[in-house]
Amino acid sequence: MPLLELRDLSVLYGGVEAVRGVSLKVEAGEVVTLLGSNGAGKSTTLRAISGLVKPASGDILFDGRSIAAERPESIVRRGIAHVPEGRRVFPGLSVRENIMLGASNRTGLSKSQIAAEADEMFDLFPDIRRFAGSLGWTLSGGQQQMVAVARGLMAKPRLLLLDEPSLGLAPVIVQAVFAIVAEIRRRGTTVLLVEQNARMGLSVADRGYVLETGRLVLSGSPAELWSNEEIRAAYLGGRTAA
Amino acid sequence: MDLALQLLFTGIGIGSVYALVALGFVLIFRATNVVNFAQGEFSMVAAFLMIVFSVKLELPYWLAFLISLGGMALLGALFNLAVYYPLRHRTYLPVIISTIGASIFIANTVLAIHGPEPEVMSGWFETPGFLVGPVYLDSQYLLIIAVTAALVALQYWFFEHTLLGKKLQATSQDKEMAALLGIPVAAMIMITFVYSAVIGGIAGILVAPVLFVSISMGSTIALKAFAATIIGGFGDVTGAIIGGLALGVIETFGAAYISVPYKDGFAFLVLVLFLVFRPQGIFGERVAEKA
Repeated sequence: MPLLELRDLSVLYGGVEAVRGVSLKVEAGEVVTLLGSNGAGKSTTLRAISGLVKPASGDILFDGRSIAAERPESIVRRGIAHVPEGRRVFPGLSVRENIMLGASNRTGLSKSQIAAEADEMFDLFPDIRRFAGSLGWTLSGGQQQMVAVARGLMAKPRLLLLDEPSLGLAPVIVQAVFAIVAEIRRRGTTVLLVEQNARMGLSVADRGYVLETGRLVLSGSPAELWSNEEIRAAYLGGRTAA
Repeated sequence: MDLALQLLFTGIGIGSVYALVALGFVLIFRATNVVNFAQGEFSMVAAFLMIVFSVKLELPYWLAFLISLGGMALLGALFNLAVYYPLRHRTYLPVIISTIGASIFIANTVLAIHGPEPEVMSGWFETPGFLVGPVYLDSQYLLIIAVTAALVALQYWFFEHTLLGKKLQATSQDKEMAALLGIPVAAMIMITFVYSAVIGGIAGILVAPVLFVSISMGSTIALKAFAATIIGGFGDVTGAIIGGLALGVIETFGAAYISVPYKDGFAFLVLVLFLVFRPQGIFGERVAEKA
């Protein structure tokens, strides 16, 4: 049984059908990348999984049971953490507080336990350790991305949804972010990654799907997608075959 | 100089009341992005509850106080469920109109039950006050200042040092993200309304012996507190406290040195000057736009 399964999922966004009949599966332990250009419906798909928007039709199964009607608060308690587009670090809270709040879905933890876990996060993200006491808004985009991912991991998720972690970051920072995705995968957390940056997105993935104007048009291993002419043309910058 | 010290004491005393009501404004504004125009009615209702339990039913002062605050907590919860919650997914405009409607409804409900006559409430203490050097310290004003200082300290501790305080802050900064982390957003907003009604109520009960208890006291206090939040910078907790204190001092000095009948006018003159020359207030925009 897959950890996550979307069955014929359709979602409206502003009255328009942004996701149209998408079916996909994510097995436990996999990193799956959802590729697509701006407006293809990638973010809307993730927002439906985490309960921020309700599907117009179709179903979302986590561990074989439907979560399509549940609220975001209860979905994250089931073990799906969503690191949304734009990072959404709380601007007026410190980095440490932001990360600590990532454990809000887990019950029965004392404040000191959570603080200790947040400190361990700085081992995984050493670049932000020295900003532990700084307010969220003072950080750069790359640092905020680290905080957002660390906060997501504090939920101890079984499935981590990552929405365009490379967006707006300098190439060297993108490398650092994807090194962390690889590390998360090594630790055995299942990841559903949304990316426009196909090269980086596929480099860490077991499988990939390609979304175009709300529909899945392709799926396969990174090597298969890599060798597809249309994908190379659309997402990898220029045609290589003459 | 002696007069100035005396005025400063009185100004800080009345300013503390404005600060408490302003805190209620700011907390609800930060949690819901909407100004609660019924905030002043919380103070008025609490003062009338105090009249009922303390003056009419002659319960001990502390018991009447606790019962009144319990009533305010209940009112805050009902207010959230009836006035805000059904409109929570709408823009700010319907919610603002809803709070204005609630304000009129609450004031007229009290009017219908109690009638229009103002009530007089005695202070907490037998001793009306005492002289320290040249300054006469009115005991009710001393109480107002002490309770305000204690509440501000307690609130600071709560927001800075408890996880629940951090969750409330997170909810006020980004509700959708808070929900994604598993923070129960509806419960956080409920807590905010209950707390705001209670501190508004405390302000009303504290100021009741200084003013008359009347139906219109809510709107008078709310206008001053609203001015205080503008002066401090809307949405800023420290600004609300500083703004409230500043406003109390300004209007007390203005009344003494310039004109008593224009006492309320000074507050609004300062409000207008701030709106024209520094609309973001003293502490406005401290959290700059995100990079």
